[in-house]
Amino acid sequence: MIDAAETAGAPAEAPIVLLRDVRRDYALGAERVHALQGVTLTVERGDYVAIVGPSGCGKSTLLNLIGVIDQPTSGTVEIGGKRVDDMSDWEATAFRLYNIGFVFQRFYLMPILSALENVALPMAEAKVPREERRERAAQLLAYVGLSNRERHRPSELSGGEQQRVAIARALANRPTLVLADEPTGELDAHTGAEIIALFQRLNADGTTIVVVTHDEDLASAARRKIHMRDGKVVDGHA
Amino acid sequence: MLFTLLGALLIQAQQNSPRTIAIDESLAAKANLRLGDRVTISARPGGDDFAVMTATRAGYTPGVAAPETVVVGAIVRRGADPSEVARGDFLVRMHLDQLQSVSGYGDRVDRFAIATRPSARIGALVERINRVAFGFRAYRSRDIAVETSRTFQVVSRFHRAIGLITIVASSVFLLCIMVLKVEERRRDIAALRLMGISRWSVVQSIIIEAALVAVLGSMLGVALGWAASLFVNWHYQALYRTPLEFSIVTLPIVAVAVSLSLLLGIGAGVLASLRLVRTPPLVLFGR
Amino acid sequence: MRAALAQASLIRHRARTLLAVLGVAVAAAMLLDMVMLSTGMRESFRELLVSRGFDIRLAPKGTLPFDTDATIPDVAAITSVLRNNADIREISPVLGASIHIPVGNRDVSSAVLGIDPSVQGDYEFLSGRDVTTADAIVANDYLIRQLGARIGDTLAVATGYDPQTRTYTGQRKLVLTGRARFIYGAAEQSASAVRRETLEAMEGQARHDRASLFMIRVRKGADPDRVREWIETYIPSVSAISVATAIAQVDQRLSYFRQLALILGAVSLFVGFLLVTTLVTVSVNERSGEIAVMRAIGVSRTHVVQQIVLEGIAISLAGALIGLGLGLVTARYLNAILSAFPGLPMAIDFFLFQPDAVWIALGLLIASGIGAGIYPAWRAASLPIAESLRREAIA
Repeated sequence: MIDAAETAGAPAEAPIVLLRDVRRDYALGAERVHALQGVTLTVERGDYVAIVGPSGCGKSTLLNLIGVIDQPTSGTVEIGGKRVDDMSDWEATAFRLYNIGFVFQRFYLMPILSALENVALPMAEAKVPREERRERAAQLLAYVGLSNRERHRPSELSGGEQQRVAIARALANRPTLVLADEPTGELDAHTGAEIIALFQRLNADGTTIVVVTHDEDLASAARRKIHMRDGKVVDGHA
Repeated sequence: MLFTLLGALLIQAQQNSPRTIAIDESLAAKANLRLGDRVTISARPGGDDFAVMTATRAGYTPGVAAPETVVVGAIVRRGADPSEVARGDFLVRMHLDQLQSVSGYGDRVDRFAIATRPSARIGALVERINRVAFGFRAYRSRDIAVETSRTFQVVSRFHRAIGLITIVASSVFLLCIMVLKVEERRRDIAALRLMGISRWSVVQSIIIEAALVAVLGSMLGVALGWAASLFVNWHYQALYRTPLEFSIVTLPIVAVAVSLSLLLGIGAGVLASLRLVRTPPLVLFGR
Repeated sequence: MRAALAQASLIRHRARTLLAVLGVAVAAAMLLDMVMLSTGMRESFRELLVSRGFDIRLAPKGTLPFDTDATIPDVAAITSVLRNNADIREISPVLGASIHIPVGNRDVSSAVLGIDPSVQGDYEFLSGRDVTTADAIVANDYLIRQLGARIGDTLAVATGYDPQTRTYTGQRKLVLTGRARFIYGAAEQSASAVRRETLEAMEGQARHDRASLFMIRVRKGADPDRVREWIETYIPSVSAISVATAIAQVDQRLSYFRQLALILGAVSLFVGFLLVTTLVTVSVNERSGEIAVMRAIGVSRTHVVQQIVLEGIAISLAGALIGLGLGLVTARYLNAILSAFPGLPMAIDFFLFQPDAVWIALGLLIASGIGAGIYPAWRAASLPIAESLRREAIA
């Protein structure tokens, strides 16, 4: 069982996520696409935020910036009180390893590793000793309800089970923040509901979560919704 | 009388002036010799006289072989004899009597070379000579050539073996790379199959692609091979100072190389694509 | 974890991995053969030269031993001069010639060495009695078979033969007293040895007090090069050849094979490199999504590259091991071809197996495997993560 103290990382008073006038442009062939146009928002510790909007509105881009897997064209991004928009690749990678957990629409588990090994992967990178990481990985799988599927490869798991393994992996190094990009996008309604419930449980246990989604049910389960359109936040600033 | 005296003096002068020899390019370079340079030749190091048993009509008589001062009259390029190439020997040509005198051989030679009229029957001639010969034997030149070219034959066999190994190795490499490249297209193939394109159509398109790649690759390979051949000849001809051609790219060689690479390229493409079209498309997508 | 990932990745595509290993094995075999060829001749020739312990050879000035028919005159005088050098321990003058032995209505010819059996270094005595008497001759098995003779037989041996008149000159009756293996002899070549005085006497005045070659053993601890220089100063009619000089001369004659070895070796290495690069590139392109995710969850670029490079190394290593066996087989085949060089001593191998050669070839292959994997791996690990994920999502 993961408790709140385990998932906390940054000082209580600063917002977990702070974006100030963030812009992100990129080239698409000969054209220039303005994916984000001056976004300012905050996410507090323990919050559960859903970012919604039509396709191409920039919500995934926003998530990528928060997750430090992309850098803004201008503006600043702070995670846990630390500036991340000007980090080198090495710094950003290390930051992600210890502070951010990712959940993707397509799960992206390593097909050649078992469920347990997939969950242990970030801990191996963080040089957690073997026994300790196996134990924790087993705990995390139990937390997401898959303790009987430890040795199964992703190809032997259903979509829902794979996503639960992905969530367990995201929690491996006790991150400050969990980011999810359309986590129910590839799942049927029933399985999606299971994942939604899991996210709620995670948040109740103290995990700060930001999801990007088209799924109304998932968005409704969040405490706060941020609406985006054409690269701007139109509703739901904090 | 004056003219007679002058004539006699001229003849005397001609007789006294050193005779000429021809040396090869390697010796000229190594000993820094030029046309007109005077050198002393001797059959023994040191240039002193030495006692010999000189052959004469009467038999062997004791004598002395003395060195001779000569002039470099010509610098020649050696013929393209592969067995001589790496030996590093120098070649000197002189008049027969000069060498006989300097070496103390006297009235002896190692061999006679006989050129016959075009209408001559060589076999019969060799037999006739051997019937009356005393102290020597006659051979056809090509029979001697077979014996003395054993070195060259060994090198040729070695080259053929290396060539064969290279072809086998190249075939394996080509097969590997073609299979890998076709494998890279597994998702494209899966998408085509899902769309309803038949297996045979997919394989056909890959064959055409593989054939084009093989043709282009062969053309590039031939060009590279030809350039490499030029370089090899330039390098070794300069190194060994010989006109011998070490590498020749002929039409049959090009034809074999191109045919083989076409065959292998297309064959590899077919093998790889057949493997993939037999796999269910969803498996190709990784599901 | 990285090694486990690399291994699992290779096993995932067995056929592809096997094919790449096979390709690398072929490259490894060729590379090993070329490394063996580049050093084999020199090493086996060196072993041959030092096998009997003789450090210096004297040949007629400007020639190599037995390269020409030239001989060194004044053997007694030269031997006396050589004895003045305290560093010279043993002197073995050798006279080479040809002999003819009538057998029935045919003539058997053979090379013959006139030696002193107490200091000779040309043959290994096998059985019977050595040439301790003036009328003794030892022969190799090939000659004995040609003659159809047995130890103890008396042979009419001549140094000259006219095939027209079928007359022999310099003929003498010699007793076949023993069998020997002639170290510098080529395969399928007759060879024999008699005492030097015997051969001189048979050859007559033309070869009196002459030698084709002197073999010299220096005192333990003496510098052969210094002795060599001393000899060339005091005996200007000879060329003094140390083992190193002889090897260098042979090297120069056979430099073609070394250059061929270098070129083919380089080509093999390059092709092996190309193969591993292609495999790694294909493998990495397929996994760009996985790689992006690994980077997203915090795996450093270096570690991603390491895992991919490990795959390249694994293929190179597996290929190298198989290639070792394959290379030894092809080396034997090629060596058999080149051993047919006329006049080449049987003991000379062009392809000599040396552990060093294996390590060199292995090292080159592993380095090549690393190099081949690094660039595509680094490129893949450096792709913008968001970009890769987006492309994966679209795909």
